[in-house]
Amino acid sequence: MRTRPNYIAGAAVTVWLLIVALPLYVMVAASVQSRTEFSANGPLSVPTSLTFENFLLVFDSGFGKYFLNTFLVTAGVVGIVLLVVPPLSYAIVRSQSRGTTLIFRFFLLGLAIPVQAVIVPMFYLINSVGLYDTLLGIILPTAAFALPICTLILSGTMRDITPELYEAMSVDGASTARTFLRLVLPLSKGGLSTIAVFAALQGWNGFLLPLILTQSESTKVITLGLFNFQTQYGINVPGILAAVMLSMVPVLLVYLFARRALVQGLMGVGGK
Amino acid sequence: MTTLLPPRPPAAPDNPAKGRPVRAGRARLNRPGLAWTLPATIFFLLFAVVPLIAVVVLSFMTWTGLGDPKFVGLENWQTLAGDSVMLKSLWLSVLFIVLGVATQTPVSILLGVWASGPQRNRAVLSAIFFLPLLLSSAAISVLWRALLDPNFGVPAQLKWLFGDGNLFGHQSTAIGVIIFVGMWQFTPFHTLIYQGAAKSVPPVLYQAAEIDGAGRARQFFSITLPQLRNSIITSVILMVVGGLTTFETVLILTNGGPGTDTTITAFYMYEEAFRRYNFGMGSAIALVLVIVATAISLIMVKASGYDKMRSTMEGL
Amino acid sequence: MNKPSPRTPVLAAASMLAIGLTLAGCGGGDSAASDRPENELHVLVYGDASNDVETAMVEKFNETSDVKVVLDTIPGAEYQQKLQTVMSTDAAPDIFFNWGGGSISDFVDADLLMPLDDFIEEDPQLKDAFLPSVFDVATVDGTPYGVPMRGTQPVMLFHNKEVLAEAGIDEAPATWDELLEDVDKLKAAGKTPIALGGGDEWPTQMWFSYVYDRVAGPELFQSAIDGETDVWESDESKESLGMLRELVDAGAFGTNFQSVKFTDGGSPALLAGGQAGFELMGSWEYSTIQDTNPDFVANSLGWSAFPAIEGGKGDAANLVGNTNNYYSVLKDTKYPDAARDFLKLMYSDEFVQEQMSIGNLPTTTSTEQFLDQAADPDYARFQFGLVQDAPNFQLSWDQAYPPAATPTIHSAVADFFAGSIDEDGFIAAMQSLKK
Repeated sequence: MRTRPNYIAGAAVTVWLLIVALPLYVMVAASVQSRTEFSANGPLSVPTSLTFENFLLVFDSGFGKYFLNTFLVTAGVVGIVLLVVPPLSYAIVRSQSRGTTLIFRFFLLGLAIPVQAVIVPMFYLINSVGLYDTLLGIILPTAAFALPICTLILSGTMRDITPELYEAMSVDGASTARTFLRLVLPLSKGGLSTIAVFAALQGWNGFLLPLILTQSESTKVITLGLFNFQTQYGINVPGILAAVMLSMVPVLLVYLFARRALVQGLMGVGGK
Repeated sequence: MTTLLPPRPPAAPDNPAKGRPVRAGRARLNRPGLAWTLPATIFFLLFAVVPLIAVVVLSFMTWTGLGDPKFVGLENWQTLAGDSVMLKSLWLSVLFIVLGVATQTPVSILLGVWASGPQRNRAVLSAIFFLPLLLSSAAISVLWRALLDPNFGVPAQLKWLFGDGNLFGHQSTAIGVIIFVGMWQFTPFHTLIYQGAAKSVPPVLYQAAEIDGAGRARQFFSITLPQLRNSIITSVILMVVGGLTTFETVLILTNGGPGTDTTITAFYMYEEAFRRYNFGMGSAIALVLVIVATAISLIMVKASGYDKMRSTMEGL
Repeated sequence: MNKPSPRTPVLAAASMLAIGLTLAGCGGGDSAASDRPENELHVLVYGDASNDVETAMVEKFNETSDVKVVLDTIPGAEYQQKLQTVMSTDAAPDIFFNWGGGSISDFVDADLLMPLDDFIEEDPQLKDAFLPSVFDVATVDGTPYGVPMRGTQPVMLFHNKEVLAEAGIDEAPATWDELLEDVDKLKAAGKTPIALGGGDEWPTQMWFSYVYDRVAGPELFQSAIDGETDVWESDESKESLGMLRELVDAGAFGTNFQSVKFTDGGSPALLAGGQAGFELMGSWEYSTIQDTNPDFVANSLGWSAFPAIEGGKGDAANLVGNTNNYYSVLKDTKYPDAARDFLKLMYSDEFVQEQMSIGNLPTTTSTEQFLDQAADPDYARFQFGLVQDAPNFQLSWDQAYPPAATPTIHSAVADFFAGSIDEDGFIAAMQSLKK
């Protein structure tokens, strides 16, 4: 076993710790200080008194509504993905028809399409079906662009179910649907939670689609709210940092309670 | 890109997708038909493939968002070919990618290898390093824009470090800020990739090297790095694709400025389409983006022999 | 894995779908507000400090009206970009805020706007209650398309009285040379002489508009926008650019103006916080600072007209800025009567007074009688005097051209101030604009 400390790695880790932690510290410290205190003491100081005025300002400027919208978008994206991906992955893994192989190939190709590339026609499309400036108008394309990765992830999980188990189901006379519900879904829980988290992150963090496809206050999501908040209150640093921090809280909760699923979902994000 | 997933329970050695049951006669297996694929396929066709085809069509049209699109043949493409901002944006995109890869890769390899080691404080530090991943790109950009305001942010307090704080006023510093923020945001993610890979390097390799008297540096370069090869390729491809499609970071931090000095292609597409209402041109730029992205990925995949690896992964 | 090659059927199916959808899309593009709840009239305005008064006005209107007005705002920096995108969608407003001129000409060409002749015939006050020179800016080819709202917004040179006093400057500069002297004095006093929100780019443009107007007169820009792009190469144009260059090189704007924005409150905070001496800004500077720092406005905010330039062709009384803001009505609105009634509020005494209470200056014929009731009567009278006496009121460059020209103009002015393009680069950029 190596025992000698690794100085290079140690130094790199320390520097990186400062780079990561300092801004986060400033964020937390600033968000509980008043504007005057923050500008008087500087960003790196320790807050001497607590105030919640920044958070009040954030909620006053509509963030409650933005949270609700973002939550609805996230739920919608997760719902669609959980509805259409498992049957698809099941067919990809178990069907022996050429059609499904083709469809799998087709989804693999879909991995290469960035959402930026289709934003102009997407605007046209969403607009012509009357979904402009609606939450559904954000949910549908966001979910569609999450499909390739989710399919890949879930097919991978489903392939781990051994043929013997399928045979056992068949011996019991189970139909395809029954096999899917009683065998495949219960044994794919890991994959399902991964794609759920991945889809949720797509919905939660989405920016470009809401930017182009919505407009009014009633459909605004958090990311856009942050962007607008910054253009309106840009120099109110504590206020902005409070808003940024609030936007992190729900994901932080997921991190604390479902770390494994979150990490796997994030790795899926990178796959995009 | 299933390779990116952290190790799951080992795959069954016999491949069920290919392996036709040997004892097929005994029990007829129910297999799902094509119908099972239809909801997802139709949905994906509608919201991803149709727009992709439409973007090709629109690139030959002119449309201002008012009234109906009209065909103009190759006009958009000719304009684009002679457009200096377009060329500049491509050059900037490449620069962003190169700088992104050059800054993120060494740091995340170092951190990943470190995090896979036995240090006692590793868990706590890794958890802190992970935190930027919990923020959206928009939130991170807003955070840094606020922190870096020349008069009301950190530069005003640390004049010895930032000077006049005109970070968004020069091309070099504006690019520097974007690259740094990208590094802050994405290094944790790539660290995770390397951490997973470094953990799976067989310890016996290090033990053998130790017996041969190889020092730590030597071990790192002759064992760790070669063993990380596939992870490096994966990670770099992700950085390239991510770099090409960077959007909100540029919009929020620099708005493409000063002037057009940080207008990368993805941002130029947005500007042309949604600020000049030149949706035809915007579509043509979007297509250039797709073509460049695909070309770069293909070249890298071919050059690295990654395709062989991937096709075996696909068969998993 | 085998390579199954035929992807063609899939692509063919997708193309069919694409074509079908495109056709369907072409048919359905003209239904403004079709999915809205009944009896809602959507009014889209620029999001800023004036919204409070507008909200109050809307509430009052809704008390008596069956059709309820819903006020939608888009924060300033994004307003213009969103407007054209929104215009062809179901979310299009019934009434929207604009700057007249080039900002609505494309909509008129696309036949989206309602000519207001009928409204005016029913209620002549919709035209007669406003100053004619202001009303005409929203007239396209002889047809009126906008009713003035909010107020006139001339660009003026604001200053911090305390900072100027500290630097030994007695009064605001009347000439360009005095301005240059003041810049030196402020620099010597350790201040940023002039606050500039260069990150937004349009504040930079104000300097161009004024210097060009003073040096060459309003004719140069008028010729340029009429298509005679040669004028950008004229001696006057080059002289204007030379003077601007000199001002930037003298350090008038400090060194980090490109990282400062007006829209996020940065540059006004520099002025109000005593870090800068001057800021060239539209009259909304008053309400913007009033919002965050009323004490400063009451005690130390000063203002003056843009300095004269000796030997220049332009009248020193000429103004630059937003002649006014306007409300235009979409042709497809379901509730034209409610729209008309809402527009009538714009000349009501109550509206005029409320606008004045927040520092805006409506351009109704009745404005003059209310000047004394303004938030700051001195400020209101000064502004009104400027507008009344101005031989020419040049609409902001980016509003005079159609919106598609805006990114080009903004980049050109910003790049020139940054020094990344020279005279020739600026001239070439402006010449690339089409009317």
